Amino acid sequence: MTVALLFVFGYPVVRLIMMSFQRTSKGQEVFVGLTNYMALFQDEVFIRAVRNNLTLVLNVPIMVAAALLLAIFLFERIRGWKIYQTTLFLPYLLPIVVVGLIFSYIFQLSGVLNEALIAIGLPQLALDWLGSPKLALWTIMFVIIWKEVGLGVVLFLARLMSVEEELFDAARIDGASWWRIQWHITIPQLSTVIEFFTVISVITMLSWVFNYVYVMTAGGPGNSTMVTELYVYLQGFRYNQMNLAAAASVLILVITGILIFVQFRLRERAGEEETFA
Amino acid sequence: MKRFLYALLVVTLCMLTTSPLTVQAAEPVKLVMWWWGEQEAPGAQKWLDETIQLYQEKHPNVTIEEVLQSTDSLIPSFQSAMAAQEGPDIQYFWGGVWTLEFAWGGGVAPIDDLIPADELAHYINNFERTFDGKIWGVPWYLSGNPFVYNPSLFEKAGLDPKKPLETWDALIDACGKLRAINVIPISGGLKDGWFGGWLYSILGRQPHDSEKDIMAAVIGKTKFTDPKHVEWWKRLAELRDAGCWNEDINSLDYQQGMDRFVQGQAAMIFGNDTFLKGWADTMGSWDNIGVMLVPKYADGKMASQYIVTAQGLGITSWSKHKQEAADFLMFMHTQDRLNAWFQYTGVLPADDRLDVSLIEQPQLKQIYEWATTIPGPNLENFIPSMMDEQANFAGTQLLFAGEKTPEELAQMTQDVIDKWASQNPEALENFTKWAQ
Repeated sequence: MTVALLFVFGYPVVRLIMMSFQRTSKGQEVFVGLTNYMALFQDEVFIRAVRNNLTLVLNVPIMVAAALLLAIFLFERIRGWKIYQTTLFLPYLLPIVVVGLIFSYIFQLSGVLNEALIAIGLPQLALDWLGSPKLALWTIMFVIIWKEVGLGVVLFLARLMSVEEELFDAARIDGASWWRIQWHITIPQLSTVIEFFTVISVITMLSWVFNYVYVMTAGGPGNSTMVTELYVYLQGFRYNQMNLAAAASVLILVITGILIFVQFRLRERAGEEETFA
Repeated sequence: MKRFLYALLVVTLCMLTTSPLTVQAAEPVKLVMWWWGEQEAPGAQKWLDETIQLYQEKHPNVTIEEVLQSTDSLIPSFQSAMAAQEGPDIQYFWGGVWTLEFAWGGGVAPIDDLIPADELAHYINNFERTFDGKIWGVPWYLSGNPFVYNPSLFEKAGLDPKKPLETWDALIDACGKLRAINVIPISGGLKDGWFGGWLYSILGRQPHDSEKDIMAAVIGKTKFTDPKHVEWWKRLAELRDAGCWNEDINSLDYQQGMDRFVQGQAAMIFGNDTFLKGWADTMGSWDNIGVMLVPKYADGKMASQYIVTAQGLGITSWSKHKQEAADFLMFMHTQDRLNAWFQYTGVLPADDRLDVSLIEQPQLKQIYEWATTIPGPNLENFIPSMMDEQANFAGTQLLFAGEKTPEELAQMTQDVIDKWASQNPEALENFTKWAQ
């Protein structure tokens, strides 16, 4: 069983790492040391892709904060909360390709959004959301938040519903303000889930955004929305440079691996602190 | 005597069961063909189904399975197949580098020994697939790039629909007249990138005499920053500044840009002749379509040529039935099949045996004349795909966004080609050999 597991999961990774240190010459794979990695770090497009992935990480605090606020409002049973809950989670269930296509139409220069802005007398805000290198990445970031925040809401709400109601009642009886309740009860109770959602979201921003970019901008205009996954795809399947693609994949794998490791460490530490407390 | 007759009978039976002819006739052969579908040539599916059926009737031991590939999966799927040395027997390829890169990678077999020379002589554009003295695929149908216009919109703008635009100044002037009647002069869509490559092939060619001039810059003999290579960026910027294009060109895909023309919102489009029949059907009549050569801004030999490439098919190096695959490809080029192809698709086959009396529309007659008398290469087929993607696709987007000047874009192209050369010494070697 262990051998089978190692083969199924380990072999592709080992093969990938091997490829990243090789180049094809006369039909043979030749060891070239760090050449592929050096080439990556000298490639402006790759650097741009890494920078864009890091920019996308800025989405994470926004997503966490938005999901937290929405979950708290829903937890307080505002009128129609069930409908809101479903509505907020719905985007998460939609295929990314569908979401990307819909927003591509909405954000065209002559699309629905700009037509609406012009109709309400705000033509100066009708911008080329996907056609401008200065705006395209931010537009994609908005779409990612729109789609991914629903998962956070559901996770937070599920955890909140399992918290003992007496905790909140006691705080209210003691005269705690709304903010104090959130700060001292809600957020501590949600800390593990927040941490989980944060790590998952960071991993998403670093290595799970290909579909958004591919459908909405294909990495353009002028590589302004290039991300590492798309870079890997282009190197491997358009430019016929599988070894460079492998090297870039290994880097993504390492960064993602480090994040997962950090998450485990944090959880372990949190567990230890709870034990001592 | 009895013993002799018995021995003779045994020998005869053995010969019957083991002779190559008998084995060939009886052995079941399955050919798998991966192809691009009818995106360029609506009607191609019906034609291929019929062709396969007719071939299988003639050759009962052969079955042919066709597998459709999308634009995005066409190359990746074959890459994977090539890596595994397992996959189709027949693969669809665009011309030039799109075929030869796979030949260099060991995924394609040469066809010279499989198809007789007198048969090959009828195929149009073999030069695109020729490397190292061998031909690495079979041209199937022609795909050219006319400058298409809407005669009625021309008339409304005070332009003579019977007199195509010939000079660059005439084109700029036409843009002004069409803008004056609120018509988009030329429509396009750059978001998915591909149209940037077309623009390079359509406009970048004019100062040059042949594809070898471009390949000389690819292999480092000349530079993409040389004035002749910068010129097309300047001309494209000139068209942009003259208001020739739809303002949303950067936020539309090519297909959406094309729709503007088909819907009658735009007067001109850098099109593809394989689309013409479909456009005429959608627009209601061939009268809504006029074709012209791209107005000239330079005096290179390629400025007066009609861009045409042959989309084709190759036989994979790992196929166990190379000859059978070649026989099927030759069957596709029999006159009955060539004529049927044109009748079903309205697209010209890459073979000089088409019955030209079948071409009725004046626009297609004109294109056939251009394709056979002044053919010129599609430059995208003679540059590395990295240059197309990172310089042409990205550069045209940046130009229309107003982010870079023509000179900066020429430098960007040179930087990309330098990067490509350093990352791909072997491909550079092949290109150098090819360029000679």
